[in-house]
Amino acid sequence: MAHSTLTRQVGVAPLRPAKTFSPTARAWLFLSPAMLFLGVLIAASLLVLRMSVGTKGAEWSGFSLASYAQLLEPYYLKSLLLTLRLALVSALIAVLLAIPVGYCMSRLQSPLLRRVFLAAVLLPLLVNLLLQSYGWLVILGPGGMLNQALIGLGLIDRPVMLLYNQTGVLMGLVQTAFPLAVLPIASAMRGVSRSYEEAAATLGASRLQVFRQVVLPMSLPGIITGATLVFAYNASSFVVPLLLGGRRVPMLAVMVHDQIAPLMNWPAASAAGVVLIVTTLAIMTFSEFVTGRRRRILEASQ
Amino acid sequence: MSSPLKSLFRGAALLPGETGRFAMLLSGGILLLAVLPILTMIVMSFSGASNLDFPPASYSLQWYKAAWNTFVSPDASDVLSLGQALTTSLLVATLSMLFATLVAVPAAYALVRCEFRGKAAALQLMSLPLVFPMVVLGLALLLIFDSLPFQLNTSRLVIAHVILALPFVVKNCTAAMLSIGSEVEEAAQMLGASPLRAIVDVVVPLMRSGILAGMLLAFIISFNEFTVTYFLYNIDVMTVPIWMYSRTVSSLDPTVFSFAVLIVLIDFALIWALEKLVGEGGVSF
Repeated sequence: MAHSTLTRQVGVAPLRPAKTFSPTARAWLFLSPAMLFLGVLIAASLLVLRMSVGTKGAEWSGFSLASYAQLLEPYYLKSLLLTLRLALVSALIAVLLAIPVGYCMSRLQSPLLRRVFLAAVLLPLLVNLLLQSYGWLVILGPGGMLNQALIGLGLIDRPVMLLYNQTGVLMGLVQTAFPLAVLPIASAMRGVSRSYEEAAATLGASRLQVFRQVVLPMSLPGIITGATLVFAYNASSFVVPLLLGGRRVPMLAVMVHDQIAPLMNWPAASAAGVVLIVTTLAIMTFSEFVTGRRRRILEASQ
Repeated sequence: MSSPLKSLFRGAALLPGETGRFAMLLSGGILLLAVLPILTMIVMSFSGASNLDFPPASYSLQWYKAAWNTFVSPDASDVLSLGQALTTSLLVATLSMLFATLVAVPAAYALVRCEFRGKAAALQLMSLPLVFPMVVLGLALLLIFDSLPFQLNTSRLVIAHVILALPFVVKNCTAAMLSIGSEVEEAAQMLGASPLRAIVDVVVPLMRSGILAGMLLAFIISFNEFTVTYFLYNIDVMTVPIWMYSRTVSSLDPTVFSFAVLIVLIDFALIWALEKLVGEGGVSF
């Protein structure tokens, strides 16, 4: 009892003169250095937006929608569809592979194994994409590891072409974006308390049933977040299609660069960039909406 | 039940919530696939053959020797030597790390401690670089820097890398901040510290592990960044990834694999240190 009176007294005593800053102003003051950098990002995206409606030669003064109209030409439209399809397929595969890994990571007991698992997840995310693409070149090449393995297993007679087509690019996309699926899924599954699993098992559910009917639905927000991240990341993937696809798999990001480097067509590059931003923001908003609703339902049911 | 007996039974009957052997094997296999390109590259760097067939016909250290020669006596044909590129890379990574941390710590403090108008927007904005298309970022920064009246060389890479690393550093600092109760700060102020001093002398030291994790991450991200840098580099300022790409743009030269192994080793050491630093599960993304 003595403690509570003591704290109350001290807490009440005004120690400082009244603050001159409102809390909002103070918070934004603390945020301002970070906002300076993010401001560059915002300003940069606005510039891209402005540039995309410019005309070639008079980028800052002209106004035309020609660059967007150009994106509707069959070649560009095909590239857009290809980008969306590869991003979608890679997101689905990555999430399917990430679910068991995420579950294991969230339930591992041994500290050493946990560190090894985490390192294995982080390496593909953090190691330079260029180097990983070189590794893929060796794996997928005509005399590469995968072809040798397939021939050894008797599945094929002569090497199949895996490089410079969509198969190779898809594999590269799944592998490089895989950590982005694992991390949110693992953290969502860590949030599903083991007591739920124990309760389900006590009520007679098999291990598979426990996983499918308890763990999986409860970690759905994490799974959706993972899928969204992979989709967004791969929709704008640049290095993987550049190195593994050559010019045969023209994903949108590669086209953006092509418009600048050989063609110097800034408005066209910007228009393609705007399409990328809009795609990303749309998918993120959608996922936010879905997971937000899901979370509210979960909270209401608890 | 005594613990040796319990562990004896573990193989037979698993408690709910424990991973079975099948799940472990499956995830181990998937993770092996995830790091396969990196492993392949390491094996290839010891190849004695000059083609890219896997597995290599023979093993030797010839590519390491060649790589070392490139390092000590640069080709005249290279626009820039590896030494210069490495210096630039380390400089940019260090500067990005310092700036990202300096701006992220106060931001994390505000995001955790303060209730203010626009907090939701600020939170969204902080994670924006994570999902922002990198190609567009490169394009946009190129537009900005080219329209400036003065020329920026190294600093434009630093600005780009700070933007890219910011979400990771803020996330780690916020996580560290969340574990510190507001009472330590109140105690410091009661003992006469000014609000600012309470933050600098009490809160920041307590956030240390989160800050260090963020710094390491920022360094790794900057050191490995390729896409945005590819838009922003010029002949004078080149980072190691760009240097490697410029060497291999026409044909894949196996000496690159030995450089790559070096970079992967550095990355691995940094990641391992990162995990050690924050304890397992402590790094936030």
